[in-house]
Amino acid sequence: MFIQLVINGINYKVDIDPNMRLIDLLRDKLGLVGTKEGCGEGECGACTVIMDGESVNSCMVMAFQADGSNITTIEGLEENGELHPIQKAYMEEGSVQCGFCIPGMIMSTKALLDKHPNPNREEIREGISGNLCRCTGYNKAINAAERAIEILKEGAKNEA
Amino acid sequence: MKKRGVGIGLSFYGTGYGNGFPDVSNAEVQLMEDGKVAIFVGATEVGQGAKTALIQIGAETLQLDYKNIIFINEDTDMMPDSGTAAATRQTYNTGNAIKIACENFNEEIKKAAQKALGLNSTAGLIVKDGVVYLAMFPDKRISYKELSKIYKDDIIKAKGTFTAQTVKMDDETGQGAPYWPYTFNACMVLVEVDTNTGRVELLKSIFAQDVGRAVNPRLVEGQMDGGFAMGLGYTLFEDLNLDKGKMRNNRFSKYLIPTSMDMIDIENIIIEDPESTAPYGAKGIGEPTTIPVGPAILNAIYDATGVRVTHLPVTPENLMKAIRESEKSEAI
Amino acid sequence: MKLNTVGKNIIRVDSYSKVTGKALYPQDIYLENMLYAKTLRSESPHAYIEVDTTEAEKVDGVVKIFTHKDVPYNHHGVVLHDHNVFCDKKVRSIGDPIAFIVGESEEACIRSMKAIKVNYAEIPGVFDPVEAMKEDSPKVHDDKSNIIYHYKLRKGNVEEAFKNCAVIVENTYSTHMQEHAFLQPEAGLSYVDEDGTIVVVVATQYPHYDREIIARALNLKDEQVRIINTNIGGAFGAREDITMQIHLALASKTLNRPVKVIYNREESFLAHSKRHPMIMKYKTGADKDGYLMAMEAEIIGDSGAYCSWAINVLRKAGVHSTGPYVIPNVKVDSYAVYTNNPFTGAMRGFGATQVPNAAEQQMDILAEKLGISPIEIRRRNIFRVGSKTATGQVLLEGVPLDRCLETIAEKYEEFLELKEFGNLKAEEESI
Repeated sequence: MFIQLVINGINYKVDIDPNMRLIDLLRDKLGLVGTKEGCGEGECGACTVIMDGESVNSCMVMAFQADGSNITTIEGLEENGELHPIQKAYMEEGSVQCGFCIPGMIMSTKALLDKHPNPNREEIREGISGNLCRCTGYNKAINAAERAIEILKEGAKNEA
Repeated sequence: MKKRGVGIGLSFYGTGYGNGFPDVSNAEVQLMEDGKVAIFVGATEVGQGAKTALIQIGAETLQLDYKNIIFINEDTDMMPDSGTAAATRQTYNTGNAIKIACENFNEEIKKAAQKALGLNSTAGLIVKDGVVYLAMFPDKRISYKELSKIYKDDIIKAKGTFTAQTVKMDDETGQGAPYWPYTFNACMVLVEVDTNTGRVELLKSIFAQDVGRAVNPRLVEGQMDGGFAMGLGYTLFEDLNLDKGKMRNNRFSKYLIPTSMDMIDIENIIIEDPESTAPYGAKGIGEPTTIPVGPAILNAIYDATGVRVTHLPVTPENLMKAIRESEKSEAI
Repeated sequence: MKLNTVGKNIIRVDSYSKVTGKALYPQDIYLENMLYAKTLRSESPHAYIEVDTTEAEKVDGVVKIFTHKDVPYNHHGVVLHDHNVFCDKKVRSIGDPIAFIVGESEEACIRSMKAIKVNYAEIPGVFDPVEAMKEDSPKVHDDKSNIIYHYKLRKGNVEEAFKNCAVIVENTYSTHMQEHAFLQPEAGLSYVDEDGTIVVVVATQYPHYDREIIARALNLKDEQVRIINTNIGGAFGAREDITMQIHLALASKTLNRPVKVIYNREESFLAHSKRHPMIMKYKTGADKDGYLMAMEAEIIGDSGAYCSWAINVLRKAGVHSTGPYVIPNVKVDSYAVYTNNPFTGAMRGFGATQVPNAAEQQMDILAEKLGISPIEIRRRNIFRVGSKTATGQVLLEGVPLDRCLETIAEKYEEFLELKEFGNLKAEEESI
């Protein structure tokens, strides 16, 4: 069956199997391998993408359910070759270790900041609580979210 | 009822293969065509930060901007054996091998520069920022880039090997010097135990970790946070629920590892005391960061409840069981 | 020493690729003409097996099913070669690999795997290491004793010393199995290069070891095997033992096509080692001033069905069983024991993570009995520069444990105040 959707600003019309999951479409069919599979049961969040403004586990969404949707993956965060402030902050704050959970963690952070531009530390903790990480103990990811908020505010000020 | 308790845990940890087993790391260093310097080592980046920390050790020894180092550690056809990325040994062991290889490289490049500059000796030659120059007459200088052009077929390279010192223990008495160096730490936690549910909540912690010298303090903090989380999960949640050899909890929906909500901000204190046999004094800290957390939590649970938990993990069910048993024995 | 680079918070060199999703792990790599594979694993903890692949081989899309018959040297292991690449006559734990099904798609492999007939003739298993140590217990490896290793540490005279102790604390502690739970489940690919080199692309802790073990199993020279280590999604010790490396190399070498395998989370749990559960019987004594006089410990570690690093882990547990304290009289016996549980091996702390759960609680119990604080009893006993460990090693330098302890001790009062404050509040609320 054919579905039509927008991924990272690009229109796709793709032929899918009815039993294909969104993560399989992204990885196997479209080569967007930045989205990771850590558990296949919606527990670890490594496969988090943003679908119509909401963060979803792409292993728990069937590909056909994404028909007509607008999806952002980790590959879609850079703009004009510039890293997104969250990506920059993750680098600067030393939030990355093995890296496998990081795309999902960054996507959850983006979904959070898109909705609530000024969360406090506890709200950030809650915002990424669906993303498991075994390396970092999360604290530097929370630092990065705080730093990203600053960068975003500075950016908004400069634009104004 | 909610009851709070404070607990501490101390640990020491012997790094390296140990017990007299040859613990060898090799490194190779080579001048590349563009004047950059390549380091080849079989030290794996598992996420701990080996690649960055080892580049820093190389850059320090080469007196070079770390951006001018090419680091190759992914391919057995290209890199020498530097042992396993385990036993908290890469910073110390492979760090030492890299330092030795880079020191040897500095000598090799000085010899090459001596020839190219028409000098009688390498005495007084300095390597700094990709240039070799004569300290007493700095105009006598040549860059790595120029040297790489001159020597392109006759590559300038060097090797380094480090073997750690340990003594095999006696089979009957266990006497010997099984590990070196040792890393030390101390951790204190404040917990709150709900004696109606058995839930243990972490409220506050301070964690002091000996590192010898921190090659990259932020990476050290990352290890401390991550080690803490792993110790926390080990002590309070993680349970495979083994039943006649079968793991009943074999997925993340049943085997619970700490989430961001289970962690708290830890006051991480890095204790520096450079070790003379280590590269710039740096000891490994990967494994030790997880060790004192459990003991600190267990002691804090006792401080809160008066109940000694002698079996891990301290899941709410296990803690309630321990509380009930202790109430029973007190009643008698 | 003035340092330019060491000591600086340089941004991790691998972080750009990791924050952009460009960092590749083995599962992210797709090769042309690539085959897929699945591993058939034991469902029984202890059984003789007969495997019939006749029907499974007929499944559409299946290319070949590999079993022990295809492996020149069917053994591996980091210390003892007690693992089979594929089990031949006997399975010793749930999850032991039996066959490797290679096909044109993952679905074909799964269909075929379900069609393999394994006849399990169950053997009584042993799941408790204390039981396993008894002479009449079921044996995990032929007729060999289940006791793999016994480490002995002897210093001074504990019996005499205990007579002179003002306080003695005796307790038995136990710890459980822990899973590494790194986020990237095992995955790998293998292909044969133009020059005949077998390339295995994998995420491993020690690529040179993998190369050696693959070469030995397939009767090749080390140089005929090349390991490409991709980004690694966490390890913590679980990527030390071999999982799929030999399977992949065997398949690509035989079929001369690239082969890829990805474990799902459940299979990842089955495939790699775990942290050793330990039973730790402790007796610790101190004089009236809180100075440690003697310690006796018996530590039994459950190695599961295979040795992996059990010898080294139980040795390390024994050496670290004293905690970082000077104790003049020490007697330790630690044992590594086979059972039919999942095998245990290296995990962050490697035996030194288990014993402090006992040793540090012993310290607090002693302190309470003596009426001194947990900080004070440690102050009196910790290793300092020049201290001698129980193995007779002199700690010549780099022993800033006193500074670690004093750093947390400075905050001890503050922590106690927060505790009292919270407890008072809870009491008020309960009234």
